[in-house]
Amino acid sequence: MQQQETPSWVLLIYKIPREPTALRATVWRKLKRLGALLLHDAVWLLPATPWTREQMQWLAVEIFELGGEAYVWESRELLVGQEQALVQQFQARVDTVYQEILAELEQEDADLLALSRKYQHTRTQDYFHSVLGQQVRATLLAARGGREA
Amino acid sequence: MRWVTWEQVGVDRMACAWLILKHIDPQAEFLFVPAGHTPLPEGAEPFDIPGVRLSHHRGHCTFYTMVRAYHLSDPILDRIARIVDEADTVQDVMVEPVSPGLDLITRGIRLISPDDQTALARGKLIYDALYAQLTTEPA
Repeated sequence: MQQQETPSWVLLIYKIPREPTALRATVWRKLKRLGALLLHDAVWLLPATPWTREQMQWLAVEIFELGGEAYVWESRELLVGQEQALVQQFQARVDTVYQEILAELEQEDADLLALSRKYQHTRTQDYFHSVLGQQVRATLLAARGGREA
Repeated sequence: MRWVTWEQVGVDRMACAWLILKHIDPQAEFLFVPAGHTPLPEGAEPFDIPGVRLSHHRGHCTFYTMVRAYHLSDPILDRIARIVDEADTVQDVMVEPVSPGLDLITRGIRLISPDDQTALARGKLIYDALYAQLTTEPA
């Protein structure tokens, strides 16, 4: 997921019938799984890549089929300076998890397999390539008794 | 018969083309249009384009839709459908570890192919291989 020079963003705005709750929850979970950021309880945001564009588009199709309404837009910021704050929010979220993994790796009986999975999962949401992620990877590899990658 | 889809094929479309040639239309001819391009060429069956019959439905990939639309009852195809689902779409449950790898490999195939036609032809080998391997193991 390469970052372009001037990043653009994919926005999803949707409305879905309240019932059945399970279907609403499915859409919500998928957005969380993508690592999308919810702004003002209304707009879901992801950095635009070919992959995120496609995923948001298919999610919109799914919302239509659930009887909902959805709009997907691609946009760039107009007010200078807000973009960096958004990037930081994305980074802060993955960094929090990376910190947790690093802390758990210090434990004597750390569950390496579970922590590897947590790392892999978090990495799919690491759109801005956190340095901490590389550190987690190296620490995991060292913990299993191997050399650092 | 002619089939049409958007350019830049990936994991789902390579699987669909393989399925079409193997089970639906051995003489299939594939056409490609830029993403979002309308109208679609007449007389060609569109697939994996948002809103058409053979596309994503209810959160499933197009391959999954096609296996059902053509009543192909084969547990191996069902298994591949699950793998492609997890490779191509966001799923809240993941049970197929091969999926992210398959996604990467098929993207790579498109990267090293001069055009979509060639990418589909090369993708065929991947799915023949996957199918063959899956027949040797229990689901």
